[in-house]
Amino acid sequence: MPDALSVATAVPALRATGIEVVAPDGRVILSVGDISIAPGSRVAVRGPSGAGKSTFLQVLAGLVWPQRGAVRWGGTDIAAQTEAGRAAFRRRHLGIVFQDFLLFDELGAIGNAAIAQAFAPRADRDGLRRDAAGWLARLGLGDVGVRGVASFSGGERQRIAVARALAGNPAVILADEPTAALDRGNADALAEDLVRVAAAGGRTLIVVTHDPSVVARMDRVIDFADGRLVADGAV
Amino acid sequence: MGDLWQSLPVPVQDGIVTAALLVPGLLVGLVLRRGYAPGPLVGAMLWRFRGANAVFVLLMAASVAVGVGLTAQERAIRRGTAEAAARFDLVIGAPGSEITLMLAAVYLQAADMPLLTGAQYARIAADPDVALAAPLAFGDSHDGHPVVGSTADFVAHLSGPLQAGRMFRTAAEAVVGADVPLSPGDSFHPAHGHGPPAEADAHGEAEYAVVGRMARTHSPWDRAIIVPVEGVWQVHGLASGHAPGAGDRIGPPFDAAYFPGTPAILVRADAVWANYALKSRYTTADMMSIFPGTVLSQLHGLLADVRAAMSVLAVATQAMVAIGVLAGLVLLMRLFARSMALLRAIGAPVRFVLAVVWSYAAALIALGAVLGLILGLGAAVALSAVLSARTDLRIAAGIGWTEVQMVAAFLSLALILALVPAWLSARRPILPDLRQ
Repeated sequence: MPDALSVATAVPALRATGIEVVAPDGRVILSVGDISIAPGSRVAVRGPSGAGKSTFLQVLAGLVWPQRGAVRWGGTDIAAQTEAGRAAFRRRHLGIVFQDFLLFDELGAIGNAAIAQAFAPRADRDGLRRDAAGWLARLGLGDVGVRGVASFSGGERQRIAVARALAGNPAVILADEPTAALDRGNADALAEDLVRVAAAGGRTLIVVTHDPSVVARMDRVIDFADGRLVADGAV
Repeated sequence: MGDLWQSLPVPVQDGIVTAALLVPGLLVGLVLRRGYAPGPLVGAMLWRFRGANAVFVLLMAASVAVGVGLTAQERAIRRGTAEAAARFDLVIGAPGSEITLMLAAVYLQAADMPLLTGAQYARIAADPDVALAAPLAFGDSHDGHPVVGSTADFVAHLSGPLQAGRMFRTAAEAVVGADVPLSPGDSFHPAHGHGPPAEADAHGEAEYAVVGRMARTHSPWDRAIIVPVEGVWQVHGLASGHAPGAGDRIGPPFDAAYFPGTPAILVRADAVWANYALKSRYTTADMMSIFPGTVLSQLHGLLADVRAAMSVLAVATQAMVAIGVLAGLVLLMRLFARSMALLRAIGAPVRFVLAVVWSYAAALIALGAVLGLILGLGAAVALSAVLSARTDLRIAAGIGWTEVQMVAAFLSLALILALVPAWLSARRPILPDLRQ
């Protein structure tokens, strides 16, 4: 089991300034003036489809490179990093939960949750696998580690994805509509899990969501429309 | 440095060359995989697409097997033909084609050749350096088996102790080769000529009684029937090689005046060096001496260009198949594009992604190469058995350093080329692949 849900690395504050992401056709996909997120915050990002909320999350993760602006996590401007630098930052600080689970179908539950051990330093591998197994157990999948992921339900697959995101003991959890593919019961359970592990570990949790029950569990909500931040306040 | 290299045993030199050939490919893998553990993921990916992977491996194995089989077979044939010629130290005939003389005397390939006279034979037989001078008389056959006239000493030289029965004692007796389907106690009528045109009744009621069987010689002589040369001459209505008052005796010495002629004389000297002296002595205006082994080497030398072309074709085939397979892998990697993008999205270094794709390709290539080596050996062994059965040459194909080094070079090159799909896979944009 992960010990006391504590985070290994200091949680960096986020400060994004003047972000602008422009599509190849010149259309501005995302334009954010200035936004800060304190360590340990639980933030919901919402808005209609195409509003730019997923792009915002991808910019924060260094998966999209803004044409303008800075995305500072602590002292690191991820937008100014090389691709290798951005990958290293994600590896060390971020746990990402993708919308469509995005699992390795050829691996079992534990293989997916502990995938990072394949490229982790040798000394960290055993710990990472134990960590992954611990999160699977905590998320109710403790006895299915070697089962192929194709046999799991949507809710179970998403929980494996959450276990993978948490296995590296990240300081920040970024989740893109994690409950979109789940039924109400599974969605609530997963939202509760995310909030619980984030809060207990002092992690920053940023969730893109349409789901009111997820939003209700956050302490801040940011609204996007047409690629612009239109509202930012407490829940 | 050169001296040190030369001082090493040949197998050690071959081992070092093989290792050196493998180093570039293995080095690529070592650098890519250092510090990572891509094995479980790669193994799972290989298993997931095992059907397509099996096709890739078989393609690769087939191309390697063709190359390995060709070179191993060619070498085996060279050795087999050389072994068959080993007991024919020196062959003397009338001036003409050295190759024709060698093919007739060693490999029993029928040919019209001019004859040496009794005086020429007598001169050779009387030479103090000559231990054996055996006339060889061709022209007859029985049921596809050449009937060759010679002497008991020749049979003893060729076979050593007989496998069964005894040596012929009269002109109407015969000793058969190991693969002739006749046994002591059988008899046969010789036909004139060889193959389909052979005339079965040309020699009337002439008949030979089989009295012995030679030990296996691993040469075309295993399919031959050897009779006293006097018998061959007599059934052709010629003199017996002996004066009329000599009775029914067979074997040397022959009487030059009653010696009908012989197309070839096998000569063995008392000492190895004497063979060279004899060759020089009997290379004259009316005689030609050959070392069959040397003529065979020259023949193999002439075929060296063919061998080289075969090797180039084999390597080219392997290269084309390897490129085809790698191109196939590039396409297959599109199926893994989302997985590779996911790895990069969760922070895997680009080198790890390279290591995964390269390891995937390397596993298929290495498996194909090893399987190809085994298949190539199997094909060569099977083909050798067929050739041995048809020619009676001992053709024993085996994997040698040539094949191992060829496969090592191919493997190394393919492992380096496997960087291409790896590189192409690692430079794809992450987000579009994640949305697949």
